[in-house]
Amino acid sequence: MCLHRTFVLLAVLLLARMAAADAQPQGEHSAMMPAVAGPATGLADSAGLRATVFGTPPQQMAPLPDRVPLSEIDIKLPWANPVPDVFWFNKKLRVWFSAQDKPAPLAIVIAGTGGDGNTSKNATLRGVLYGAGYHVLTMPSPTFPGFIVAASSTGVAGDLQQDSHDLYAAMQAIVARLPRRVKITEIDVLGYSLGGANAAVVKAIDAKEQKLHIHRAVMINPPVSLFTSITRLDRLFAISIGTSNEDIDRLYRQLYAELANLYRASDKVEIDEEFLLGAAAVVLKTDAEFSAAIALTFRLDLVNMFFAGDLYARTGVVVDPNHPPKVGDPLEQTELRLRQMPFSAYFSRVFAPYYLQRRPNSTSASLIADNRLDIIADALRTDGDYYAQTNSDDLILDKAELLWLEKTLGSRIVVYDHGGHLGNLGDRTQIADMLEMLAGRWSGPRS
Amino acid sequence: MIIARPHGLLGFVGALLLAGCASNGLEIRSLPPATPAADNAAAAANAEALAAAMADETTNAAAKATATDAGNAPADRPPLFTPADAPSMRTYDPFERLNRFTYRFNARFDDAIFLPLANGYRRLPLSVQTATHNFFTNLDEVKSVINYVLQFRLRYAVRTLGRFVVNSTIGIGGLIDVAKDIKMPRAQTGFSDTLATYGVHPGPYLVIPLLGPSTLRDGIGFAGDYGINWAVNVGDLYRGSYWKAAAIDIPWAVDARANVDFRYYATGSPFEYQQIRFLYVRKRLIEDAGLRRYSRPTPPPAGAEAGQ
Repeated sequence: MCLHRTFVLLAVLLLARMAAADAQPQGEHSAMMPAVAGPATGLADSAGLRATVFGTPPQQMAPLPDRVPLSEIDIKLPWANPVPDVFWFNKKLRVWFSAQDKPAPLAIVIAGTGGDGNTSKNATLRGVLYGAGYHVLTMPSPTFPGFIVAASSTGVAGDLQQDSHDLYAAMQAIVARLPRRVKITEIDVLGYSLGGANAAVVKAIDAKEQKLHIHRAVMINPPVSLFTSITRLDRLFAISIGTSNEDIDRLYRQLYAELANLYRASDKVEIDEEFLLGAAAVVLKTDAEFSAAIALTFRLDLVNMFFAGDLYARTGVVVDPNHPPKVGDPLEQTELRLRQMPFSAYFSRVFAPYYLQRRPNSTSASLIADNRLDIIADALRTDGDYYAQTNSDDLILDKAELLWLEKTLGSRIVVYDHGGHLGNLGDRTQIADMLEMLAGRWSGPRS
Repeated sequence: MIIARPHGLLGFVGALLLAGCASNGLEIRSLPPATPAADNAAAAANAEALAAAMADETTNAAAKATATDAGNAPADRPPLFTPADAPSMRTYDPFERLNRFTYRFNARFDDAIFLPLANGYRRLPLSVQTATHNFFTNLDEVKSVINYVLQFRLRYAVRTLGRFVVNSTIGIGGLIDVAKDIKMPRAQTGFSDTLATYGVHPGPYLVIPLLGPSTLRDGIGFAGDYGINWAVNVGDLYRGSYWKAAAIDIPWAVDARANVDFRYYATGSPFEYQQIRFLYVRKRLIEDAGLRRYSRPTPPPAGAEAGQ
């Protein structure tokens, strides 16, 4: 039995289902979707939402190697802030490394929002990259609490430049201490979702600082404006779940009843992964349910980021800066309050107050502008070593942003018709294209 | 939950703790190799089985719907849960402070001792791992048989007894799971389920040292199962010196740990304790509802926390 995945599935199921009654006609759900939904937004596209929730079907996965050697590296970074008691388990940054036994290029993979270094998406990329002859280092997102505590110089995650600087410094520290037998011929970076944007900015920083001599960067489903993307996710949550804890409670009760009924109708003697996979397929069916699952996944990541940010920035929204919680303290009320907080609250109550104070002449508007890929637009336009892959129905991009990416990267971006947000990561075409990009063999999208 | 029998492990733990674990700025741990191709093939097989089952379900559902329309709904249908019957999102945890410290102890123990042992075990040839796992699983059938009898679920009791007999003989003392291949899949139960059948609620949430997330009833159930094993004493494995106990219990625990894909604080989150608590108790409550399949669900009393 695979307990962890069972729990994750149970979590998704128990927390992430539309509270509406079961069998509403499809039309009513579409009417509930945001008015902004356009052809490139994906918010109203069933296929895109479904792909985002369920990911690439195993049958469509790119070929994967039989065995990939793996080690876990825990590293203490000197610039990290003192570790608060409540985060005692995050003292060191944890990354995963797979070494070839001959000289090879190193691919550094960065996870998306809230992801650790060993997400299933990172593991998929590790498999294909190792199979293609790379050493592979997979890293957490700078928004993962383990990174915020052990590797962030501020503790307030979500700033594209600051986070990428911290990532770059962490990469240097790790690469310098890899075992001597590992021979690296060149370094490439890639990342998915927010990690894609981080990867590109890391390469841009390296172009100035020249510490790692990063060759190529590939962004998979990157955001263009962090602020626009989070606003879309907030709206997705408000529309598919609601805004209060009562809404979450209703969602939970509905789902609990449904799972209990499914379980009683089955001949199972315990809840296992098989049952939950089947239940997921039965319970998650409509656009609104997919939306709720996606929105809730992001919200649970935000809860961690918000908590850490509030603690480090001493903004006092949910954590009393003078009496931070200790190991034995109950945190249920704190989590309940945080669950109602959208990304916009994180921005206005933690992120902006913190950075406005530290960056003279900055304004909320300038912070928003600084968190766009525009900050490296020149490099993206002129340096032929930046690449991107995305989908026309990716829900974190609007149409203007997709156009901006296409105009800026020219033939170095490929836009697939379907896949939603990361729903085709690992499929044969995406991987074949990604490997061509990383190796510099990419000659533009096939028409 | 994490291991089945801590008995005999304690001395061993002390020795390992004394051996100490180096902790400077950098620690590189070699893990068993990843097997992406095999993992994906397994996922594909799962997906196909699921699709087939779903297709079946759709056909059955259609048949049932027709039956209902005709006014003769099948009588064997369990009464339905409604959202009002769901337990509170809050969990009954009067020992929370102690539990949280135990959770931390378990996390540290796992990281320093349990997981390294399990990772070492996972480097053994797959055939050795499978045989070991089958052996211990087979021993576990004994308490399942007795508990099924206590629960008056005789069909399962007979099947499980059948599995035990087949696997212990043809399966060479349980090393090979022959029964699975002749359509006798494993279905385990325990004394906690027996208590649940008689209407005992899970009670307070409890994090047991080394065992992990549990409830008072599950803790008692665990002790009860141990008692059953002691009383039956299959193959004289359950009585005797501490050395003998350790020789059985340590491989048992390591095998159990190696088969659980859970990593303490992989979430990096300070809320992990309460999230696991939430999921563990809901999982058990739904399983309880399955044990009393045909009883009508009753809404929990106002203000009651889950498990109370």
